[in-house]
Amino acid sequence: MLNSRAWTLPHSDFPISDDGLLSPGAAETTLIHALESRFREMALAAGSEERQFPTVIAEEILDLSEYFQSFPQFASAVNSPNKRGRYFLSPAVCYHCYQLLMNSALAGDTLLTCQGRCFRAESANDSHLWEFTMREVVFLGDCGFVRAQCDAWKQRIARWAAQLGLTVNLTPAKDPFFLGETRGKKLLQQIKELKYELTAPGLLGTDVPVASFNLHERFFTSRFEVTLTGGEPAYSGCAAFGIERWCMALIAQHGVNEALRRVEESDDLR
Amino acid sequence: MEILLKFVNEDLLADSQEKVAPDTALFDEGRIDSLKILRLIAFLEVRSGKKIPDELIVMDRFRTIETIAKNFPER
Repeated sequence: MLNSRAWTLPHSDFPISDDGLLSPGAAETTLIHALESRFREMALAAGSEERQFPTVIAEEILDLSEYFQSFPQFASAVNSPNKRGRYFLSPAVCYHCYQLLMNSALAGDTLLTCQGRCFRAESANDSHLWEFTMREVVFLGDCGFVRAQCDAWKQRIARWAAQLGLTVNLTPAKDPFFLGETRGKKLLQQIKELKYELTAPGLLGTDVPVASFNLHERFFTSRFEVTLTGGEPAYSGCAAFGIERWCMALIAQHGVNEALRRVEESDDLR
Repeated sequence: MEILLKFVNEDLLADSQEKVAPDTALFDEGRIDSLKILRLIAFLEVRSGKKIPDELIVMDRFRTIETIAKNFPER
């Protein structure tokens, strides 16, 4: 049964079905919204332009991003009303940003932020939801700007986590990233330190990622033809925050009421 | 280390005017691109006769020719 309650967080109303679908209680919903609001404030304070995108994304955009080559098992297809074209539930919101900027030259350093429901059909366990909320900040420009933004976001979020009293670790990611799952591609991601993850202790004793900080080099911009003013492909990167995972980590460490108090009273959002 | 330095300058960077010294940061300013990184790893594995465990292929062990030679000595 779709909404059967497989399990819930201890001492909270946070039921997750065996298909990885979440239906949180009132306090937990408030915490999710409070967290999302804080990430949004940080993104806007950093100078990001905010955008909103559909929950579904066209097959050709994921195809151009080589998503199906890298993660063929994660995509969830949906039918469109007019039956023209194929769509999928978005696995990440940043793909929409590249679609938005396709075939364009950046006027200068660019920061975009967006949040949306994302879907990845990974096997459900203590942290993988099929559907979850992601806030992203996407940075595009020259190599120096993108690296500086990525570093700044790592520091900003680590500082905020400390203020919340959330135990976290920032480490280079080992799981496959946009480059795919072959050994060569995984080693490139690893040695070039393209992806860092901020992890927090999970419910079953293992650390789970709550945020990632990613350098895409020219992977997406060359495919979507996003250039600098001189015509050469721009660099890009992003910082991504899984809102429900932050919620779970905070509830696990502080309980929902104390977590909400800490999020609402936090003021170090620089 | 001399063999490694020769491989990088004469093979990987054969088409480049710029050459590296033992203490040059290999990955700054796009000196060594993705394909060259993989060729460098393959070179080290062939020279040593064994596969390098994936967990050892990290930036701290590959920053310069000196650090590579120190971390992956020839057999």
